[in-house]
Amino acid sequence: MKAGSDLAASPEALWSEVEAAADAGWPQWVRTLNRTVLVAAGLLLLILPFLVESIALRRNASLLVLSLGVLGLVVATGKAGLISLGHGAFVGLGAFAMGAFVDLVGLPYPLALTASFVTCCLFGWLLGLIALRVKGIYLALITMGLAVVFPSVAKRFPSITGGTSGRPIENTLDAPAWTGLTDSQTIAVRYYFCLVVCIAVFALTRNLLRGRIGRAMQAVRDGETAAAAFGVSIVRLKAGAFGYSAGLAGTAGALQVVLFPFVSHEQFNVFLSFRLYAAAVLGGIGAIIGAIYGVIAIVIVPTLNDIAGGLIRNDGRGLLDNDVIVFGVGLILLTFVSPDGFAGLVQRVGRRFSNRP
Amino acid sequence: MDFFIQRVFDGLLNGTIYASLAIAIVVIYRATGILNFAQGELATLSAYIGFLFVAPSSLALSGSGLIGVIPGLPWPTPVAMAAAVLFGVAIGALVERFLIRPLEGRSELSIVNVSIGLLIAINALVIELWGTNSRRFPSPFPSEQDDFVFVLGARLRFASIGVWLTVLVVLGLLGLFLHRTKIGLAFRAITSNRSSAQLCGIPSGRILMVGWAVAAGLGALAAVLVSVSGRVFLDPTLMIRILIYSFAAATIGGLDSPVGAVAGGLVVGLTQTMVPAYVPYFSTELSLLPPLLAMLLMLLFRPTGLFGTARVERV
Repeated sequence: MKAGSDLAASPEALWSEVEAAADAGWPQWVRTLNRTVLVAAGLLLLILPFLVESIALRRNASLLVLSLGVLGLVVATGKAGLISLGHGAFVGLGAFAMGAFVDLVGLPYPLALTASFVTCCLFGWLLGLIALRVKGIYLALITMGLAVVFPSVAKRFPSITGGTSGRPIENTLDAPAWTGLTDSQTIAVRYYFCLVVCIAVFALTRNLLRGRIGRAMQAVRDGETAAAAFGVSIVRLKAGAFGYSAGLAGTAGALQVVLFPFVSHEQFNVFLSFRLYAAAVLGGIGAIIGAIYGVIAIVIVPTLNDIAGGLIRNDGRGLLDNDVIVFGVGLILLTFVSPDGFAGLVQRVGRRFSNRP
Repeated sequence: MDFFIQRVFDGLLNGTIYASLAIAIVVIYRATGILNFAQGELATLSAYIGFLFVAPSSLALSGSGLIGVIPGLPWPTPVAMAAAVLFGVAIGALVERFLIRPLEGRSELSIVNVSIGLLIAINALVIELWGTNSRRFPSPFPSEQDDFVFVLGARLRFASIGVWLTVLVVLGLLGLFLHRTKIGLAFRAITSNRSSAQLCGIPSGRILMVGWAVAAGLGALAAVLVSVSGRVFLDPTLMIRILIYSFAAATIGGLDSPVGAVAGGLVVGLTQTMVPAYVPYFSTELSLLPPLLAMLLMLLFRPTGLFGTARVERV
């Protein structure tokens, strides 16, 4: 029985399960599958405005931008080993910052987006500096506390957050008047703005993680002492990773403001953080492709719920009033079946087939 | 002065409830090194099950007529409360047996994931079954407007006394259980040194299951008591906040010290009522902030807490 000693798991052992997905080579056909999913998802996203009504478009788009929050968790938890249960708070911070930069400062949208990204990075970096001093599980505790307290704190700044009732954004992102686009087409313009930003951010993050920084992060996650001995500055790296990851979550919030010109503290409660975390783990927290699978889950679950409701309940509602339950149960099941999420599951199945003589 | 004493009473009432949940957290942490993030939601579910016995028609689900099979509904409140605690005990044991024990030897992250999954799933289940409305759990203690005595010029409500007595009795029983029974002895042995205890022939799995059962029962008690204390209603997010307060309490007291959990609970309860009373900026909703800051400072400067023991780690 290998109990006891494992309880005080060393940092090296801690991430062994996750690292299996990230480090080992991907079999050829899994690469192909992942690439196919990427291309198919990309194509679908490109033509989405021509396929669905503007309401459905807006709903799916708001889930799409959440992918940046999930990506943030992949960077912080999967790559840097910092468990965060509070990324919902950064999504909220990004949304409020975006609202403030657009309305109160009067910045144009691309600049405001950059500014809210930087704001969230700064806050995340500060929290990351604190995070350096506490160990894994306690960081989860602190970030969860942050997520719980965030809405109440937000209410204290009514000029930015609109206090209890929320605040509509005045300077919305619209197509210029000369294009003569209708209201529903405006939604499509906002959608494409978000899509471009999302793709750009995913590409940037992928390149960052592939390069020197990404390797250094993996080294730190797998063994701090060894990494430090090779000249990696752990302080700079961890705080930086948490800051960047908070910036990603903040961008998700800022893009939500682009889609829905309204901010309210109610959107950013602790369950948003839990949902993001669940999506990241379900998708596969060790790899960027995991964030994409995670978002596919976020989009597909409510849709399937509606379809099942239409088949079984027939009263215009989903099968479950509260489809979040699927994420909870999925999280538990996947921990047993595939700790490295759906991405890891695909990879392992793939390796089994490719190893056939 | 009256104002001050009143805040002390309020703080001690909340603190007692945080202390019970904090002890549940500490019991599990001491034995297994796990922070159970689902501790609060397990308690919420138990409290709702108890509530079901006093208000059988509360289920938002069709086909809830099945509940009518149980005789004598609605039950008197004390019986329903006991049922909630028993349900907590049962579900705690089940969670350990089927979700935690199979993960033995796996990384910390897996267990965090399972407990977050439980938290999300149970919260969603409660909303699915009972809806998001707040419910009024009838109190077994006299809790009319004038059910209080003046002590030192402040109102001491009978409900508060009832909560204190209940917690005292339960903690006394827990102490007896841990120090006067064989199972309690085995549990303490496992807490102190798991592999040695196993070598002595103690079935660690079964004993840990008892630990989880006790912890979940304590949590259920905390949830039921907070909803009958007459100050807040039972709602699906009730225990999320209380869980944060209790985590703060456990951290401040020292995560491996039951005495620390009680002390931490009272400190957190008092901070929560005192700071907003004298610093208006932290009124009502922001009352969560001072205990959280205290927890943060404690983690930064004294990670073992007030009463915890330092762990020597070898590289």
